[in-house]
Amino acid sequence: MMVKRLQPMMSHARRSYVELMFQVMGRALQAISEVDETTRNETRELPEGFLFEMQVMPNGPKLIVEHTGNGKLLFHGDEAPRPVDLSIQFKHIAHAFLVLSFQEKTSVAFANDRMLVDGDVSYAVRMTRVLNRLESFILPKLIAERAVKEYPATIKLPEKLISAARIYLKVATQFVETVRA
Amino acid sequence: MTNKYYEFFCPVKVIAGKAALEHIPYELTGLAAKRPMIVTDKGVRAAGLLDPVIAACEESGLEIVSIYDDVPPDSSTSVVKDIAGVYRKEKCDSIIAVGGGSAIDTGKAVNILVSEGGDNIAKYSGAGVLKHPLKPFFVVPTTAGTGSEVTSVAVITDEKKGVKLPFTSSFLLPNAAIIDPRMTLTLPPHITAATAMDALTHATEAFTCMAKNPLSDAYATAAIKKVSQSLLAVMDNPKDSDGRLELAQASTMAGIAFSNSMVGLVHSLGHATGAICHLPHGLCMSLYLPYVLEFNLESIREPLGELLLHLEGPEVYSATPASRRAEVSISAIRKLRDALYKRCELPRTLKETGKVLENQLESIAKLALDDGSIMFNPREVSHEDAMAVLRRAWA
Repeated sequence: MMVKRLQPMMSHARRSYVELMFQVMGRALQAISEVDETTRNETRELPEGFLFEMQVMPNGPKLIVEHTGNGKLLFHGDEAPRPVDLSIQFKHIAHAFLVLSFQEKTSVAFANDRMLVDGDVSYAVRMTRVLNRLESFILPKLIAERAVKEYPATIKLPEKLISAARIYLKVATQFVETVRA
Repeated sequence: MTNKYYEFFCPVKVIAGKAALEHIPYELTGLAAKRPMIVTDKGVRAAGLLDPVIAACEESGLEIVSIYDDVPPDSSTSVVKDIAGVYRKEKCDSIIAVGGGSAIDTGKAVNILVSEGGDNIAKYSGAGVLKHPLKPFFVVPTTAGTGSEVTSVAVITDEKKGVKLPFTSSFLLPNAAIIDPRMTLTLPPHITAATAMDALTHATEAFTCMAKNPLSDAYATAAIKKVSQSLLAVMDNPKDSDGRLELAQASTMAGIAFSNSMVGLVHSLGHATGAICHLPHGLCMSLYLPYVLEFNLESIREPLGELLLHLEGPEVYSATPASRRAEVSISAIRKLRDALYKRCELPRTLKETGKVLENQLESIAKLALDDGSIMFNPREVSHEDAMAVLRRAWA
């Protein structure tokens, strides 16, 4: 009985969590493309003006980023200025929650058919690598190991700390600017 | 509670064995189809493989209304459009694809156009675009390797844009796959070997990659057992129709396995090598399989060790310590490749193909990293990792 009563609250909390995580991830994607050369090497291969979306089906939370050139990404919030080029879609909010709360790795979610790719698969593979790199930087190693297939051995602690600090600073600045605007 | 989850789907009716072709008229009639069109290629027709299909239909009073036999090895959007035009002109109501991967993929794409309407197949490219069942579609494979008769994917080249268009939908799955040993009896040794190694790779990757599941595991292990037991026997005696049927069934079973659990790095490297060096897909699979298994070894030790039972049989399996089974499985695959090299000179290294240059390895690695199948490989793969595997496969 109690569980039944709590259900709507839990659903709401889960949805809010996913929305918040998309906001953070979108801003962090923009930030990592500004601070990390390896990420830029990945994103540089995307066409200029390329719009990438992560969304919960059918009309759930979403994040949209654009490749503005030279590997730089720009976070557009949840509204795309034009039709997106690549969309990675979670089939249900529960699946997005599993991934974004690090209970299921992104790669496992793909293998488990929790997500669909609409667009060029090779770009989806590339964007997944960028997301993995982002998670490896901004999450503590123990949590990052739950989020990515393999924690990169090439990321050493000093680099991780410095990059994470720069990314978080940029994300916080963006949040403040958004609130002010 | 476990986080494990999987999906499995295969609604294709498999019609396999002696006189399987003779079931086509009954099965078509059951779907209210009376005017079938055959889609095939010149090689299949020249080999006389259409004759038993046509005879089987005519004996039951079912007329093959049209035969299109000019499917190229890399089918294109214009070919699909042409065939759809013939289909409509002749008022056909069903399609029978007879051939290998290209003829089958072409049949799937033609079925989209004649069912959904229009001439622009590119419009239907992508995943989940199709929302309705298509016309009755049967597949008669003439190679034992691709498994296309049980997959929901087709790839067609857009020759104007120079890109390959993927089509993915469960509606692309044929209504029936007809596996008749007569259709693979005349397959040349080199192609028999390469396509069987393709099936072996599908099954091995299905069993060891990230989306493995209990149902696909059952199909994968059965396929591996059939290839291991029958391939060399067929190479030594190509007219062994029982062995041919075993290989054809193995291919279909491996197809069911990998279409439900996906494949990994062998396919990523194989697709890239095929695109850059124009090597046949089955050969690429054979080239990379042991080296990729070595690369993935520590992540797949347990399932790979289990495969030893199906690769070498119960005696070898039980005589091998559990801790060594994974390595012995890789040795068994190497041994099989050596035996095939001895019988038909199926290359074991990139150098032996004579069609790959060492300076192409960088481009192959780069392209492989963007291949969709790399997502399902049990280990993360960096450019350096891909290069290391390629160098081992070089010579």
